[in-house]
Amino acid sequence: MPLPTESVRGSARVGEPPRNEGTVPTEPGRLTAGSAALRPLAAADPVTRRVHDVAAGLDELLAEAAAARTARAEEGSEGAAVCAWNHFENIPTFYNWNNRPR
Amino acid sequence: MSGIAPVPGYVVMQPTTLCNLDCTYCYLPHRALNRPMPVPVAAAVAADVNVWAAANDRFSVVWHGGEPLAAGRAALADLMAPFRGVEHHVQTNATLIDDPWCEFFAAHDVRVSVSVDGPAERNGQRVTRAGRPAYDRIERGIAALRAHGVAFSALCVVSDPRPELAAELYRYFLDLGCDVLGINIEEREGVNDRANAHGEAAVREFWAALVAEWRREPRIHVREIEHALRYAGAVLSGTADDVLPRRLDPIPTIGVDGGVYVLSPELAGFTDERFGDFSSGNVLATPLRQILHAAARGTGWVGEFLAGVEMCRAECPYFGFCGGAHAANRYFELGRFDATETDHCRNSKIRLLEGVLDHAAAH
Repeated sequence: MPLPTESVRGSARVGEPPRNEGTVPTEPGRLTAGSAALRPLAAADPVTRRVHDVAAGLDELLAEAAAARTARAEEGSEGAAVCAWNHFENIPTFYNWNNRPR
Repeated sequence: MSGIAPVPGYVVMQPTTLCNLDCTYCYLPHRALNRPMPVPVAAAVAADVNVWAAANDRFSVVWHGGEPLAAGRAALADLMAPFRGVEHHVQTNATLIDDPWCEFFAAHDVRVSVSVDGPAERNGQRVTRAGRPAYDRIERGIAALRAHGVAFSALCVVSDPRPELAAELYRYFLDLGCDVLGINIEEREGVNDRANAHGEAAVREFWAALVAEWRREPRIHVREIEHALRYAGAVLSGTADDVLPRRLDPIPTIGVDGGVYVLSPELAGFTDERFGDFSSGNVLATPLRQILHAAARGTGWVGEFLAGVEMCRAECPYFGFCGGAHAANRYFELGRFDATETDHCRNSKIRLLEGVLDHAAAH
């Protein structure tokens, strides 16, 4: 399968409303297999559309990841290094993601 | 997310500049020098940290270096002594870990993360000051952790991301017994000026292959996979706006002399004609809380960085996942804090998310 390129970047323009501060519109009636929840309409940006395009595969992967977290007992586990997972808004110390030291 | 919080969630302490290793990709400029942190620096930091810790369920103090264990147990204990109600973390190359260090970790309730790049043949860049491979020492240190039942995380630097590496690395870390794994694609910053541009397909396929291998046995919390899935799940549920923190954590790094470096410790030890030494102040002269309040107002290079974050928000559709290029990556790759897309963005953010989505599309 050919890889989608990264050329989607730059399709948003300076001056457009910040994507993260807007409200993603929803499309009533669009349901995804395996979920009864309404899914946002993938119209806001190419990354959102890309995520929705692979929703079926993601649903399965997300379910497996949730089960794996439970199996790892990450919620409130004592003593394990991974207990830091819920420490901060993201991941603490060197596992912080959106801004972190290395 | 907008701006910088004046109160951190954790602080990073540099107990010594010294590192007993000389890894070829290290960014630290003074790692051959043994400059210890005086206890009054730690006491000055603790004066504010203890207040923050008392007001929050959890607050961490991260001992970093140099190699923090090179400070020695007695010195590290003296530096930890002023702190109250905090969690201590240490990021170590593991070469100095032995039975007494494991007892120290237990006595001081220290959470341990080790730096190791996979099996011996993948650790060629982790060398001693004499240029000899350090892996045997790293392995001995980790064995001591395991013998004492000390849980640990691991950080792995990947200098040449390609898909065939992913399974080898993940299987290694499964056998190693770490709870958490972070993958750092090598970055160009500090004194490491090696280029970090890689082909798009190789990097995406690396991340996709890592997901595939992780999925077979997801016993380890893999930082990058968890974040990508967290974001993708939030997009699907319409809550992507909630993924980023409301404000950036200032993550103050406290250098051995008390200098405070927010957001990017990689800037410590460097100077710029516009911004001087990048420090936001010194805890021996000004309380940490005052330094951070001033930094949050966007003084000095931080103001240029905050403008850069807004540029990322305006230009890049991956912003909701990433939160903006890191300060040190902007500066060391592109020369300014208001420059935007870096090779680090491409390797570790954009291609990570795309690789995870590639895997989801194919399975």
